[in-house]
Amino acid sequence: MKRILLGSAAVLTIMFSSIAIAHADVLSQIEKRGTLVVGVKADYRPYGYLNPSNNIVGIEPDLARDVAKALGVQLKLVPVVASNRMQFLDQGRVDLLIATMTDTAERRNVVDLVPPDYYASGVNIMARKKSPFNNWESIKGAPVCAVQGSFFNEMVARKYGAKLVAFKGSAEALNALKQGRCAAFVFDDTFIAAQLQQQQWSAYDIPLKTIDSKPWGVAVKKGETRFARFMSGMVVHWHVDGEIIKLQKKYGLTPIAYSVRMHKFFDDNFVPSAN
Amino acid sequence: MKSRNSVAKPTDLPVLMPIAERLTRGRGIGLSYDIPRLQLRAWHGLFLLGVLVFFSASAWAQQSPDHPATLAQAFIRWMPLLLKAFVFNIVMSFLAMSLGTIAGVGLGVMQLSPTRPTHAVGWFVTQFFRNAPWLVLLFFCMFLLPFRFSVFGVTVPFPDWIKATLGLALPVMANVAEIMRGAVASIPSGQWEAAHSLAFSRRQIMFGIILPQCIRRMLPPWMNLYAILTMATVLASIVGVSEVMTQTQRVLSAENRPEFIVPFYAFVLLLFFVYCYPIARYTQKLELRYAVRD
Repeated sequence: MKRILLGSAAVLTIMFSSIAIAHADVLSQIEKRGTLVVGVKADYRPYGYLNPSNNIVGIEPDLARDVAKALGVQLKLVPVVASNRMQFLDQGRVDLLIATMTDTAERRNVVDLVPPDYYASGVNIMARKKSPFNNWESIKGAPVCAVQGSFFNEMVARKYGAKLVAFKGSAEALNALKQGRCAAFVFDDTFIAAQLQQQQWSAYDIPLKTIDSKPWGVAVKKGETRFARFMSGMVVHWHVDGEIIKLQKKYGLTPIAYSVRMHKFFDDNFVPSAN
Repeated sequence: MKSRNSVAKPTDLPVLMPIAERLTRGRGIGLSYDIPRLQLRAWHGLFLLGVLVFFSASAWAQQSPDHPATLAQAFIRWMPLLLKAFVFNIVMSFLAMSLGTIAGVGLGVMQLSPTRPTHAVGWFVTQFFRNAPWLVLLFFCMFLLPFRFSVFGVTVPFPDWIKATLGLALPVMANVAEIMRGAVASIPSGQWEAAHSLAFSRRQIMFGIILPQCIRRMLPPWMNLYAILTMATVLASIVGVSEVMTQTQRVLSAENRPEFIVPFYAFVLLLFFVYCYPIARYTQKLELRYAVRD
């Protein structure tokens, strides 16, 4: 009996003890390993989604591939979700996050969000092309579909006076828009842009100017200065070359204002003229 | 009634008739009147699937006839991926069940120990894991265990799905321990006394006499537990393991078609039903067979 007791104690000890791992600079680890491990979304078309042969494809996987190419190593993509991505980075399971992550002050305390940001998303509406909406003030009093729990709902209702009809998920809200139960659907503009790729929404568009635009950042583990600097260089390079604009076109999106602005800014200020 | 009596009439003595009938039922002769008439077979599942696909496809066709891919096409495109993911769920359930059973039997033996501290530890661990929500245990395993070990300088990866399997094995362990304790307690004390009088040691009695008799009694609840565990493997989707639920979510977002949500989840539901229903039926059968026998 004692032996069984000792045995189970040992099993439990092994199960619950985390074994610390010696740590070296992540950039040298990547080189030693010959593989770059990048955390991307697998459930957010067209930024990162699955294809039928179980590979993750999309804008962010393409960006990750570019990083691996620049480092001269193989690429391994790890699907992440919002609730586990920063833990993965912290544990060292992924070297880099390119995962639709909004750059916020709280997150900067946990991970290193590399400047400059590579993308941005904000709030916009989706409405019929013939709709009377041309500025945010014009949605006053109009019935607008929304998804419960979106942080901008309150602002849209209070500041612009829209009559919100909130649904549980985006699918239900879109369905209501299609049935004409509301005049517009207010949501994240990147999501709307992705919807508009489909033929069934060909009679709809994004009529307003995106508000409350929040940038997305590429993240590395806190304290990985060398790798962070390298990634800064990569993001600047993407803006200079208009890489992200090209990818948006490749995946059928209209280039967002942020990418166009960043491309122009870096092109004007940082690229020496030919002569 | 009349016909059954004529087929397997257990006794002529009026006094014995009620009990005799119960005894025959225990032997599985009168099986049919304890189980509801509705008995599903495997082809029923396929039939249900067919109906589902047909109706959702036609419903969709009415909605928007100008679409690029039909539901049936989408199903065909993603089927290998989803089935592979489902097999992965089954592998996880097998592993969790094996680990949980081995650990659970150990824990059950500990609980039955006459030594007080051993008994106390066994009892505490069992109660603790039996009364903790499965999802919470899963989260603990996911976030407390490292993603790789260093053993003697060799780095061993410790992937997410194994962590999830361990997380699921913990409640299984506690439940198996309880099932075992109950089974041992149901063995008549005469067995113990008889074995003692034949000068067997406690260990010999436990492993040579009592436990072999328990296996039969433990089997139905153990299989029930397995079916429950299989259905619980989808919990791993919450912690990001690429099992069938996660993959379905990803497929749906790749398809980006709200009208596919219901048929795809219905398909997952059906996969689990087709797998778990036969287990449930077989369990019921075993329960009946072992009901009054000893």
